[in-house]
Amino acid sequence: MKSLNRNTAKTGLFLFISLIFLFSCRVTLLPEYNAEISKNIENTAKLVDKFYLLMSETTSEENSGRSYDRFAEMYVEIEVEINSLLNQNKIRPLNENSTRICEITLELWQKYKEEHKTDNTLSNGLIRLNRKVFADLFFAMQVAEEGNKLVNNPPE
Amino acid sequence: MSFDIHTVIADMGSAVKNTVEDNWDEARSVTIQFLQNRKERIALMAQLRISGELSKEKFKRRLEDEKLILEAELNALAVISKAIAQNAANAAIGVLEKAVKAATGTVL
Repeated sequence: MKSLNRNTAKTGLFLFISLIFLFSCRVTLLPEYNAEISKNIENTAKLVDKFYLLMSETTSEENSGRSYDRFAEMYVEIEVEINSLLNQNKIRPLNENSTRICEITLELWQKYKEEHKTDNTLSNGLIRLNRKVFADLFFAMQVAEEGNKLVNNPPE
Repeated sequence: MSFDIHTVIADMGSAVKNTVEDNWDEARSVTIQFLQNRKERIALMAQLRISGELSKEKFKRRLEDEKLILEAELNALAVISKAIAQNAANAAIGVLEKAVKAATGTVL
């Protein structure tokens, strides 16, 4: 009888300790969804889209119509926005995936900017390709941010 | 005080399964979209190479860029996978927590 009581007490103690652990035990692999960053991604994506669409629709390669100087200011403006997105992502804990997507976007933005500077023009085909590349990268960025939304609130 | 570890483990397994199933469609649709985007980019690159707008060297460089874009897409999928893993793990912990609470009759 005494041994039975001791076993019950042990089980009770085990369950009590488990409760204490469980109370504070939640798996966290991702940062919380941030609506402001999501909006910033959307706005930067729109800015890039507008940049390439305007270049395609309002200029042509003839008579140096697409020389780098004509677009340098917009290149800088967009690079500032991508840099800002990168910094916003960098400071969030558990956010290495979104940060890496931003780094890749920035790397390719700078690369294609340099390409435009070197060639001092951009063909219609390359405008289409660059526009597609960045649309797809911003889509990946938005998927990552929306992915944070998939996380359910822990059960009460 | 009743605490059947076999039932609790089975319930935890069901909770994990249900959570993964609930989120699986999201991962699937995003993967399909990424593949579609890739197809469109490669088709455009091939078209530009054929028309001569992309030189051989530039075409090679763009193929290298595709590796980076793939890395970005895999990072986006990693977020979805982590969200599923986090939900599944917390659902299992939730089941265990509930069972322990019921066994002890403790109100947290």
